[in-house]
Amino acid sequence: MMGPQSYIFERLVRVVFFLVNMVALYLLLRGHNWPGGGFIAGLASASSLILLSLALGVAAMPRILRFDPVRLAAAGLLVAALTGAAPLLAGRPFLEHFHTHLHGVPLLGDVHVGTPLLFDLGVYLLVVGIACKLIFVLAQSTQGLRALVAEEERRYSSPLEQPLEETAGPDDGKERTDAD
Amino acid sequence: MTLALFIALGLPLLLGPLLGPLGRVFGRRVGWVAFGAPVLATAALLWLAREVGLPGSRVIEFPWIPSLGINLSFLLDGLSLFFALVVSGMGVLVFWYANFYLDDHYEHHGRFYAYLTLFMAAMLGTVLANNLMLLFVFWELTGITSFLLIGFLHEEESSRVGARQALLITGFTGLLLLAGVLMVRQVGGSFDLSVLLREGLPVGEHRGWLTAAMLLMLLGAFGKSAQFPFHFWLPNAMAAPTPVSAYLHSATMVKLGVFLCARLFPLFNEYELWAPLLSWVAFGTMVLGAVLALQSHDLKAILAFSTVSQLGYLIGYYGLGPARGVEYDYLHILNHVFYKGGLFMIAGVVIHSTGIQDIRQLGGLWRRLPWLGAACAVAAATMAGVIGTTGFLSKEMMLKEIFEAMRPHGTLGAYAAGCVLVTSVVKVAFAARFFTNVFLGPEPPAVKEHFHAPPLALQLPAVLLATAAVVFGLAPMLLDPPLHALSVAGLHHPSDHLALWHGVTLELAVSTGVLLAGAGLYVWGQRTQWRWARISPALRFDAFFEAGVRMFSKFTKWLTRVLQADRPVSYLPLILVFTLVVVGGWTARALAMEWRVFDWLATATGENGDWLRAFAAALISLAVVGAVLLKQWTTQLISLSIAGFLTTFYFVLYRAPDLALTQILVEVVTLILVLVLLGRFPRSAERGEHTWRPPPLRRALNLSLAVGVGGLMTTLVLWMNARPAAGRIGDWFPAHTEALAEGTNTVNTILVDFRGFDTLGEITVLLIATLGALGLLMRYKRTPEEYRQGPLGPAGMGLHHPEEGKQ
Repeated sequence: MMGPQSYIFERLVRVVFFLVNMVALYLLLRGHNWPGGGFIAGLASASSLILLSLALGVAAMPRILRFDPVRLAAAGLLVAALTGAAPLLAGRPFLEHFHTHLHGVPLLGDVHVGTPLLFDLGVYLLVVGIACKLIFVLAQSTQGLRALVAEEERRYSSPLEQPLEETAGPDDGKERTDAD
Repeated sequence: MTLALFIALGLPLLLGPLLGPLGRVFGRRVGWVAFGAPVLATAALLWLAREVGLPGSRVIEFPWIPSLGINLSFLLDGLSLFFALVVSGMGVLVFWYANFYLDDHYEHHGRFYAYLTLFMAAMLGTVLANNLMLLFVFWELTGITSFLLIGFLHEEESSRVGARQALLITGFTGLLLLAGVLMVRQVGGSFDLSVLLREGLPVGEHRGWLTAAMLLMLLGAFGKSAQFPFHFWLPNAMAAPTPVSAYLHSATMVKLGVFLCARLFPLFNEYELWAPLLSWVAFGTMVLGAVLALQSHDLKAILAFSTVSQLGYLIGYYGLGPARGVEYDYLHILNHVFYKGGLFMIAGVVIHSTGIQDIRQLGGLWRRLPWLGAACAVAAATMAGVIGTTGFLSKEMMLKEIFEAMRPHGTLGAYAAGCVLVTSVVKVAFAARFFTNVFLGPEPPAVKEHFHAPPLALQLPAVLLATAAVVFGLAPMLLDPPLHALSVAGLHHPSDHLALWHGVTLELAVSTGVLLAGAGLYVWGQRTQWRWARISPALRFDAFFEAGVRMFSKFTKWLTRVLQADRPVSYLPLILVFTLVVVGGWTARALAMEWRVFDWLATATGENGDWLRAFAAALISLAVVGAVLLKQWTTQLISLSIAGFLTTFYFVLYRAPDLALTQILVEVVTLILVLVLLGRFPRSAERGEHTWRPPPLRRALNLSLAVGVGGLMTTLVLWMNARPAAGRIGDWFPAHTEALAEGTNTVNTILVDFRGFDTLGEITVLLIATLGALGLLMRYKRTPEEYRQGPLGPAGMGLHHPEEGKQ
């Protein structure tokens, strides 16, 4: 995981990345009726991104993925929760789902659409965001990179000034430096 | 009716959160926006009181969780309307007062009024609630808003300590109340007060449960109303700004305990424990509070302890109340609101204009603040029970009732009478001290130096309250019609007409004696310059409480360190032994009782004999054995991965494509995750050069645990599979998935539709766990030394075994 080591690997991954994501999209869309669904599709997309980070080096990922994956996860949760809450406006129970059949859609023929897909989309986004974030952060820390940039440290650190336990590890409070 | 209820309760609830942002725009003027809430609420409540048709009652209900019997149900009767009007009426005065009290020296006005408005809404909700669950929710909301208000000046240590104590005490006792409510629901069959009051509680075999429920609910009341042994939080809550003290900690919130006792009185007053428990605790608190008030020197502390004392009386009053009903509880409560609310506001004005809180450094303010001085004289006289004030009426009735109660209650009555007499004497003494030592006498130089005149509008609410105390004190017949109208069947017994003069009675003689004795006590105190007056920590209890909190925190830290050590080796055995003993023991017992299980096992293995599955299972076992026996971590990992992918194959054999897909992807992602983490390990460890062998005894334990848990799981799985199926839920979902969820993939319809709520919860937990993990990773910061050792750094993250170094 020390950055690009093989030209062949890198080229291959660039192609595979799109293939995997096509499959993920397919899995997401067919989920309600055939094997697939948001969770599986999310894992597939996440592994494609991780593969990309293996090929290009994890340090290059912030340039490709220009936002914090946690935001993706939060958006996913929001989509799922709103899908659940929407029926409340119409006086229906929380998380009731609605379906409709469209006939004669160009290229696809008869299509079955429903709100479960939106819910699954939320699950998908959340799984992608979380899997990517955790693996990227851990990968960065093992490569001697800053695990979290300063802005993220502010975002995720607790406002506690003192460590929770007296037995906390060495922490001299100094800014750390990037090792490479 | 619904609209009026919404204006009284819903509007403040909605307005509260808005005031925070509004405060950023309007600054301190946001208080006038907030002022609208209590004014509207009072108007709406008065209209409701007219519409309900007192002394009848009305229930207004909206569904919330009907399947559990929990609804937004409100009971409008005399008791709830009386308390609601006290809350909103006092709210009008306090919001007015706060607008002048919180000047530009304070910050965050928006936040303050947001909390205060929410508090008022929570109070109204608590007293108006019909559903006990709703009552509990609002009850806790008052505790939370009180916490926020006490801690409003959070830069000060005393504020934080006071807020934390209040939250812990009222929060904890609130949970006891919840337990009591649930017990009442289990036995009584309903959360609704209207139903319980109408039908009464079942008698007979459930008496024990109901007594326990009563005890728990009364503990909730004691916590909220600062009764012994919880009496210390109220004085410490005085760190809040004075309007808060006047509102929450004298007039309204602390009276919730009194309110709860009044609500429960018709249900529980015939129980053997009711009278002794309430009387012993509450009358004891009454004396304790009065003595502590006499020994305090801080203006607000004097008032706080005297509030504790008066709350003790109000609660004890219900304890001794005869079964046919009590008579004068409203009078006592109203009297307390008049003088204590007034005195708090007076103390606030004094503190505001002089900056001094210690009564020993004050004096001679009469010339500077004549209006306030007059109000204080009246309020103090009301507290002391001088004739011509509501205090006199209240004390006359108090003595009369206590003397009446002495006959049926024997020792208890005598104890209560003694407590009331002692308290009355002490109360006269500190009431006299409060007025005399602040407003009369020579003016100390410190006062002269610091004094700046407060606006007249700030003094207005206190003057109004004092006026009310005198007007109703001189013309008690004005109080008769409203108090009669508000009386509630079951709780109240129709009372005689209030009158100023009852003739020369025993009560009058005692009352005069009390005044004289109190005056004597005050004179003696002045002569000794109150040098003896220092509160012993043994009486305050907060030192014990703080020590308890510290001990608890130490204990949990110790427990966490033991159970959540860095290495799984140190805590896993504990969990596994527990599993083996509990689950294993239960399984063994069940197996011993169900001998047929072995027949099922024989048939099951006979039917399911399938060489392909057996082959896959054998391969999985082989891979697992490899993972255990191999030395290098990378090979171990690959072996484990093989086991995982073979499990996928097994799923395919069982025709579960969704599971197989998930399993493959989870295996991939987990493998990458572990590989990434392996990068942290030192090379030597990766090659398996450091192998730490535990001592033989430990190895034996580990081995037996591993075999035991493995055997247990195998037994359980076999057993579950062998058991003849009876209406398995697994058959229901595939059968209904197309009809109900319009999808053919059962796994997916379960996830997004049938069990969609579970999924929503799970993904929420996932996000929370990720944020927690990021926070934890942040905690691990490497020192510069560690960075100098290269990109991988030293072996960190607790992977070194302590004994490794020694070898």
